[in-house]
Amino acid sequence: MSRAQTLTASPLKQAWLKWRFHLNILLILIPLGFMPKYFADAKLFRGEAGLGANIVRDIQVGPYSLDLAEMRDQEPQADGPAGFFKVFNAALCKACIQDVKATYLRIGKPRSLRAAGTIFFGAPYNMSTSLPIPPRTSPDAQIWITVEGWDGSMHQASVPLAQASPATVAWLKKQGGKK
Amino acid sequence: MAKTPKKSKSRLWFLVHSWLALPIWFFVLIVCFTGMLAVVSQEIVWLADPAVRANKPDGDAQRMTFQQVLDALHEAKPDMIVGGLSQPDGSHFAVKANVTLPDGTSPTLYVNPYTGAIQGKTPDFNFEAFTRALHGWWLVPFTNGYSWGWYLVSILGLPMLASLVTGLVVYKKFWKGFFKPVRTGHGSRIFWGDLHRLAGVWSIWFIAVISITGTWFLIQAILFDNHITLSSEKVVPVIAREQVPQTQDGSPAPRIDLDEAVRLAGLAIPGLEVSFVSLPSTAYSHINLSGPGWYPLMHQSAAVNPYTRTIDSQFLISDRSALEFVTESMRPLHTGDFGGLPIKLVWFFFGLVLTLMVFSGLLIWTKRTAQATAAALKRGERAPRNLPRETTVEVHS
Repeated sequence: MSRAQTLTASPLKQAWLKWRFHLNILLILIPLGFMPKYFADAKLFRGEAGLGANIVRDIQVGPYSLDLAEMRDQEPQADGPAGFFKVFNAALCKACIQDVKATYLRIGKPRSLRAAGTIFFGAPYNMSTSLPIPPRTSPDAQIWITVEGWDGSMHQASVPLAQASPATVAWLKKQGGKK
Repeated sequence: MAKTPKKSKSRLWFLVHSWLALPIWFFVLIVCFTGMLAVVSQEIVWLADPAVRANKPDGDAQRMTFQQVLDALHEAKPDMIVGGLSQPDGSHFAVKANVTLPDGTSPTLYVNPYTGAIQGKTPDFNFEAFTRALHGWWLVPFTNGYSWGWYLVSILGLPMLASLVTGLVVYKKFWKGFFKPVRTGHGSRIFWGDLHRLAGVWSIWFIAVISITGTWFLIQAILFDNHITLSSEKVVPVIAREQVPQTQDGSPAPRIDLDEAVRLAGLAIPGLEVSFVSLPSTAYSHINLSGPGWYPLMHQSAAVNPYTRTIDSQFLISDRSALEFVTESMRPLHTGDFGGLPIKLVWFFFGLVLTLMVFSGLLIWTKRTAQATAAALKRGERAPRNLPRETTVEVHS
């Protein structure tokens, strides 16, 4: 206010007087602009937009099979000190739902079931997991799927990261360039 | 002489009060309006959609237990996987079931609590979620931490608090204003001014509650985005591998049913009321139960191990720190969701009054302050250090 009084004729003040009410319009435009995104996200979270992006279908894991997809076609997201994460979704084949106790995801081959990676949670028709992506991961890494049966059996398969999430590989290459 | 600085100070406060919401008044108006709607959004949906109602088939029908509801759902749709069941606050609401269908979609179903019949599902346009998203974060998506829309809305708590304080400072003897009649027939400026002051004094408590809790939402986001937690709730570890049985034939290991879980939790935690049940989301997860406790502003929860039948973790009202009593009370105080329909209606009413205050404030401003400020600025060109005089006209009327 003191500025308004001392710099009465300044162009800054004139701009403010002229445009201050247009702030309202700008603020109202924000939710209008985000509305399509809001409804698209709501659809995605209801599972109506499919499993996700870059779906890899019918990955054979021992006697079972599943579809794998990244939740969004985008680079890993930071979660503070915990590092970077990518959300992946998976759908188990209908016939194997009863037999499968747990499904895990990991970058690089796990040495044992205890180090199988992050567990998929939720209904087997559309389950999710948040996979940590260390920034120094090699761009040609494989992501390994481990399926554990209720009978104690363990089965594994892998998919190139470049196929499951091209955006992650692009991000890794960028990270590598920095280091 | 002694009186002059005091008077000019109150003029300054008056100017501050007049200008607080001004450049963004329409934004503030919509936030107040959507907040008012969000308080009763569940009730609006109840009125609009018969599927959301818990209609009793005949006089002596009993409400089903959670396991009975689950059994009814399995019988109706054997392929469907149920993730959780909840009984909204109020027996007139149908039970909500979060389910996943074989095609991978995850609707929320409304289930009749007396018959177990599936009455409908949340429509694609979810009014409750939409009004809350619009009010809470201006629809700006959450990508990394809190959305900037959340900051945009919650920061309004500060000017709102300032409006309350400056409003009380410039309204001399406001405590005498509770029963002042609103004058009609003296022009619309007098009418809106009287209404603004009358609504203001009756809303002192409400504006204080909403602005303080709103500011808390700002603090909450700042804390979260800087990875600072005030919570004393422990992270529940997954069930140990040894406790989850292997089966010879490869079929899923048996787990206790929901009613047994509720019974066990009730034995361990006397007075636990269960209104939310979430089924294990993996083979190594608990059955999570939660519901209101003796202190209406907070929930209690318990995690039941479905294999060993033990309560592996619990978070009760008595487990809260003094600080958590304050911080956890903030959200229900803001939303009015802690005492059923009567409290919600009170919040709705004062939300309407608050919306009206923003609106009447604007009307008064356009009719008075705009001209006064223009005049003051004109004078300011001649004598820049003088405080505007005409703005205080009718302050006390």
